[in-house]
Amino acid sequence: MKTLDKETRCAIKNAIFVVLIVFGNTVGNLMLAISMNQTPSISSVTVPNYFGAMLTNPFFLAGTFLSALSLLAQLTMYTWADLSYVLPVTASGYVVTAILSKFFLQEHVSMFRWIGVVIISFGVFFVAETPPDTKHVDATHPDAQQVEGVSQ
Amino acid sequence: MRWVWVLAVVLTSTAGDVFSAKGMSERGEIEDFRPRGLARVVHYIVTHPMVLAGIICNAISFGAFLALLSVAQLSFAVPATASSYILKTLLAEFYLRERVDRRRWIGVALVSAGIILISI
Repeated sequence: MKTLDKETRCAIKNAIFVVLIVFGNTVGNLMLAISMNQTPSISSVTVPNYFGAMLTNPFFLAGTFLSALSLLAQLTMYTWADLSYVLPVTASGYVVTAILSKFFLQEHVSMFRWIGVVIISFGVFFVAETPPDTKHVDATHPDAQQVEGVSQ
Repeated sequence: MRWVWVLAVVLTSTAGDVFSAKGMSERGEIEDFRPRGLARVVHYIVTHPMVLAGIICNAISFGAFLALLSVAQLSFAVPATASSYILKTLLAEFYLRERVDRRRWIGVALVSAGIILISI
């Protein structure tokens, strides 16, 4: 790890965190959806019974844990990457969700949805090409000079 | 009823992400992932008012999303709440002062277009 240059290390770190965020979010959502299908409708049981059924459901607990992991990874990533970078790049989760909905929840995924999934993938590709951090560029950066030039 | 929950999820998750990003970006890049370093990160998170506000908004959003899942399928809930992307990117540019260049806007536009197709 130490022999790698800074740029490569940043790219690896970015990739690891994007995978953590996307995995936690999509698999977490899937498990929550499964747990909600197993929990009785909120109008048909008393409130304590409803929360009791939810809190003892293993899918609910695992889904909550994965969602929390995803949130923590996202917060960590904000210390070096822009919000406008993290959000579109982690949109690759929609691709994963479409696949998980089809194969694990047996929900119908239409042709429109698959086309949407492909378009989202292109969008993710565009944003992934930009530098993750635009807030901490130094003053010698051409864009910083351009802003100063406008203000005079 | 399900659109009321969609609106609740969009507004709270936008506030949550923008506040979280604002608070976390004030800290330097996290490079120490040993237990002591991670403990410092957690300490920073639980004592920073902006980050805490963001987490509370995201927690409310999580509750609203669960409510939405109980009245709608996951394949409706996930794409419908994705309209928050445009709102979040606008706030990233004008409130967080990020430089959202053409490639990022094209990316966000493609992601949003894809999500509209998914919703059909």
